[in-house]
Amino acid sequence: MTKKSDGESYLPLTPAAFNILLALADGEKHGYAILKEVARRTEDKVRLSAGTLYGNLARLESAGMILESDRRPEVALDDQRRRYYKLTKFGREVAVAEARRMEEALAQAHAKNLLRKPETA
Amino acid sequence: MKRAELSRSRKLFRVLVRALPFDFQMNYGGEMEGVFHDQVREVKETGGPLDFLKLWAETLTGIFTTAPREHGEIFKNDCSYAFRMMRKNTGFTAVAVLTLALGIGANTAIFSVVHSVLLRPLPYAKGQELVFLRQEAQKVGNNDIGFSVHEIQDFREQNKTLSGLVEYHPMSFILFGHGDPDRVRAAVVSANYFDLFQVKPLLGRTFLAGDDTLGAPPVLILSYEYWKNKFGSDPGIVGKTFEMNDKVHTVVGVLPPVPQYPVESDVYMPTSACPFRSSKAMIDNRDGRMMEVFGRLKPDVSATQANADFATIAGRLKSEYPKSYPVNIGYTASAAPLQAELTHEARPTLLILLAAAAFVLLIACANVANLTLARMSRRERELAVRTALGAGRSRLLRQLLTESFILALLGGALGLLVAYNSLALLTDFAARLTPRAREIQIDGGVLMFTLFAALGTSVVFGTISALFSRANLTSSLKEGSTGAGAGQNKNRVRSALIVSQIAFSFMLLIGAGLMLRSLIKMLQVDPGFVPQRVLAMRTTFSFSKYKAGPELVTVIKQVLAKVEAVPGVMSAAISSAYPLEPEALSAGAAAFSGPFMIEGREVAAAEAPPVGGQVVVSNDYFRTLGIPLKAGREFADTDDGEFLVAVINEAAKRQYWAQEDPIGKRISGDNGASWLTIVGVVGDVRDFGLDQKVTPEIYTPHSEGAAPSTLIVRTMGDPRGLAEAISKAVHDVDPQTAVTHALTLEQARSESIASPRVTASLLAVFAGLALLIAGAGIGGIMALAVSQRTREIGIRIALGAQPLNVMRMVLGQGLLLAIVGVGIGAVGALALTGLVKTLLFEVVPNDPITFLSVAVTLIACGALASFLPARRAASIDPIVALRSE
Repeated sequence: MTKKSDGESYLPLTPAAFNILLALADGEKHGYAILKEVARRTEDKVRLSAGTLYGNLARLESAGMILESDRRPEVALDDQRRRYYKLTKFGREVAVAEARRMEEALAQAHAKNLLRKPETA
Repeated sequence: MKRAELSRSRKLFRVLVRALPFDFQMNYGGEMEGVFHDQVREVKETGGPLDFLKLWAETLTGIFTTAPREHGEIFKNDCSYAFRMMRKNTGFTAVAVLTLALGIGANTAIFSVVHSVLLRPLPYAKGQELVFLRQEAQKVGNNDIGFSVHEIQDFREQNKTLSGLVEYHPMSFILFGHGDPDRVRAAVVSANYFDLFQVKPLLGRTFLAGDDTLGAPPVLILSYEYWKNKFGSDPGIVGKTFEMNDKVHTVVGVLPPVPQYPVESDVYMPTSACPFRSSKAMIDNRDGRMMEVFGRLKPDVSATQANADFATIAGRLKSEYPKSYPVNIGYTASAAPLQAELTHEARPTLLILLAAAAFVLLIACANVANLTLARMSRRERELAVRTALGAGRSRLLRQLLTESFILALLGGALGLLVAYNSLALLTDFAARLTPRAREIQIDGGVLMFTLFAALGTSVVFGTISALFSRANLTSSLKEGSTGAGAGQNKNRVRSALIVSQIAFSFMLLIGAGLMLRSLIKMLQVDPGFVPQRVLAMRTTFSFSKYKAGPELVTVIKQVLAKVEAVPGVMSAAISSAYPLEPEALSAGAAAFSGPFMIEGREVAAAEAPPVGGQVVVSNDYFRTLGIPLKAGREFADTDDGEFLVAVINEAAKRQYWAQEDPIGKRISGDNGASWLTIVGVVGDVRDFGLDQKVTPEIYTPHSEGAAPSTLIVRTMGDPRGLAEAISKAVHDVDPQTAVTHALTLEQARSESIASPRVTASLLAVFAGLALLIAGAGIGGIMALAVSQRTREIGIRIALGAQPLNVMRMVLGQGLLLAIVGVGIGAVGALALTGLVKTLLFEVVPNDPITFLSVAVTLIACGALASFLPARRAASIDPIVALRSE
């Protein structure tokens, strides 16, 4: 399933896809949890709807970046229909590659003094 | 309350999710609903109504951006898969695309005619407001007696429903001043004629009111075609002058290339410039009806309202002028939309052809579905494996539909090419049925039709093949590849498709067969004259030069003598019309007929008077055409106009003198002002079409005053070679006489049945296509059945079955399909042939000979198609067959 060689070809990721990968970076989550985590972390700047969330999940899943997890929560605690997703090794690589890409871009912006605080606010 | 709202939102969301691809819904639908449910709950608990609206806005955007993306992705994959499959099966692809191309092409071609002629509005501004007015004499069978000057004035002044009313009549004049004297088709029209049709001139101007007053300087407007062909599109044409009817006419304008109704004309002139229309005798005579009248309805007035209006005016005229509108002719006035008027003749033929083309497409669909099924049985394993691997059924259905869509689209593109190439032929054909033929083209509407035909086609055959292949997917993994149960079920579907193909082919063949039989019947009709080696030429003597009768008689005598002296000419005559003359055919017998009186016979007021066609001829007319004399005598030199005589045809004798000898009886065509004595009876001639019944006719010698205009010459050899010599002989007598439109009577006869001939040929082409497709279908399915049953047949042969019996078994199955198809087709044909009834001549729609020969043809075709597979079955080697599994 993993496609090490062509991980680069997925870059740049869309903000939604990158944020979903980030949301899964620290552990498995179900759909609603991903959505909440992204909203919380980006202070509501990236808001996913059910449609965009699952459109992205479907694409990330078929690209082999995420997987459905075997873990089920206790029945009493959770909705049976909820599925948990986890990051694959390949997914992590792509997310890292995307972060590095951003880092380089950021460094270049710094080098050009683009990010120095403007004199007049 | 909150719960209710929650579930309402959830329900709505569930509907929205359906916009996503089926597999996506199956995979994520439930979860998405769960997420949405959580979101709604959270908003309800912590947010306000604004947050709720915001959630909905985001949700809607999310679904409607995700859905097209997902669908597009699937479509892209399906397409590339379909193209891979098509490349792998080039044979199948070629046959399927070609079959569909023929089906779609036939439909596109016929539809382009139907669209341009029947569906599109007239190409004038607000064309639907244009109407054609007519006065009818219903009791004497004339549905268009024309209008006189008085009547035009009456209708113009008294109507309440028209915003304008114009008149028109066609004339032939000779135009001098540009090379040889040219006989032109002139349209004599009201000054506001072009304003009514809202046609703007290409050059110069149209007519002004001042042009149409008596004594105004004569002016002309040229048609676009005449200007282009005769004057090489000379931009300086406006202001040039021509001599016509002894007057100098100035060209004031050129028309744009608009379709000209009801007939094409070379030049247009105002009524004041026509020597006939402007003569005092014509203007004063309420009964001098030779004009046609068009009107434009006021906005929001229907044709029905206009009709009531004209009926009122007609009633008023009847009571005011009882002499002009005798009760016994059944006088009425009415209006019909111009579009309907111009196309009513073409409608039945075109609709029948469209139906026939649709049948061909249905047969093509059935055939491609069959091919797809046959191919599917080879792909069954693959499809079953894909199902087992998790591809949903709907996903496979979708894949198959995409494949059929691509096939149909390719077929449609090729079909468009077929249609495009047959357009010239179809335009030529349609021109015989309607003046709108010139407008036929493949435009956006036709392209849309082709696209929809292709789409519909792909849905029809794609669904058939997908549905029946789906049923078998599960069974094909369980059983061997030639699994008996599923295989048989599918074979039944395929057989049903073949039977339907044969049934539709049968109906098409019946249609073509009936038309063909009519055509043969028409060719067998005795026209009443001998058409071989006769040439007819329009010969127009200058009206202004030979005003008085005696001068014209002398000139005609000189012309005939000169023409008869041309080597190769046997005899020559002159007449006002000739049998099967193209113009006469389209006008119909009624246009040349009028009521007459028979001496000593009273006609009751409510009774229809005798009606007869009137033909003016020279002495040798009957001899030249080979029309037999049945009683009395022909015309002679002694009939010099002093003692008025007439010759009638046998139809007139049968109808008006059935029990007595008409010779010596007297008739009058002018209400008793002058009386003609009948001196002879001649055989009936099919003047107005081989399929038209002969109506009573009255021939009068040209010496009695009327100006005949057709020279008829019987020759010893091919008459076409003499046309030039004959026209030179005429010009030797009078160089100002125009001699045009040379046509042999054999050409005229062939032309007169051109429309049924083309209809028959088109139907025959469609039926032939159908037969070919159906035959190939039977052959294909029998070959497949044999290859599927190789093992079974091998066992039979091993067990002692004779090859002949095996052959008989396979042949029998093929024949059974053909016979069942023929049976169903016969029922369908009997139900449908009533539709073609109007196009048939002396053939009943359920003609047993046609039905029998079509049935034999189709069954023979079935036998022939099954023969090869049958022979292969008989030659199966049991050892090879058994080893093959």
